[in-house]
Amino acid sequence: MSASASGGDEVRGRRPAARSRERSRPSLVLVIPSQTDFLALVRDVTKKMAETAGFDGGDADRVALAVDEATTNVLEHAYEGATDRTVELRFEDRGPALSVDVVDSGAQVDPRAVPRVDLERYVSERRTGGLGVHLMEKIMDSVTFRRSARRNVCCLVKRKAAPGGG
Amino acid sequence: MSELEVETRELDDVVLLYPRGFINAHTVRTFEGEIQKAVDKRRFKIVVNCSRLAYIASAGLGAIMGAIEEVRGNGGDIRLSELNETVANIFEILGFNHLYRIFPSEVEAVLSFRDTERSGAP
Repeated sequence: MSASASGGDEVRGRRPAARSRERSRPSLVLVIPSQTDFLALVRDVTKKMAETAGFDGGDADRVALAVDEATTNVLEHAYEGATDRTVELRFEDRGPALSVDVVDSGAQVDPRAVPRVDLERYVSERRTGGLGVHLMEKIMDSVTFRRSARRNVCCLVKRKAAPGGG
Repeated sequence: MSELEVETRELDDVVLLYPRGFINAHTVRTFEGEIQKAVDKRRFKIVVNCSRLAYIASAGLGAIMGAIEEVRGNGGDIRLSELNETVANIFEILGFNHLYRIFPSEVEAVLSFRDTERSGAP
């Protein structure tokens, strides 16, 4: 599963097509039905992938939470609760970072429409939405959204600590 | 195996909730339902003992936020105890540790309601 963890750049001399394939090959692709029953599986697989990529237990737990939140967002917003669709998760150990793409074919969701979180206002206004994106952004080094081939792609990236850098 | 079970106990006027497992978008209704049962019975002093809670996603935090105004508006509170490192870290990331009172032990959380009564503070 972690075959691409190292040596990914050592492809000089290969044909461009081969290099392109190697670079774009995810370490693992998981496709789940659009049902919340599968969130536990998403969490477990993500945690294992993060640990395999070299993250310690605490960081692996947090990455798993971020991916759980991204998947939950898809189920609730892009698919609006429809249970007959699929969500694709692509895990890739890029060496210095772990990247997870959460891909759906649901309605286009504009992440800029998600209000920024103001916790005091949340309490006073009894609002409960938007926490997931806030958590994702706090946990990951990068959270980006794009629309590609009529699919939504949420890309979550977590950098590994520099060697010897605690 | 169920991903979440919530036991409930009552100690005088304090309701104790014991979530065991994971609170995410799949299991949150169970957790939310137990909070709501306490509110429906007009029991507004609630302690969530998190000693067997492995993990909480934003859905679970939203369940607490969804009830807190009514609970506090009736002179009560939702207080938490015995958070493991993972759950405590999630609370800190979101700043929930500034919005909710968190205690190292269940006894301290329960007694904090007595202190509140004695001082007359909300």
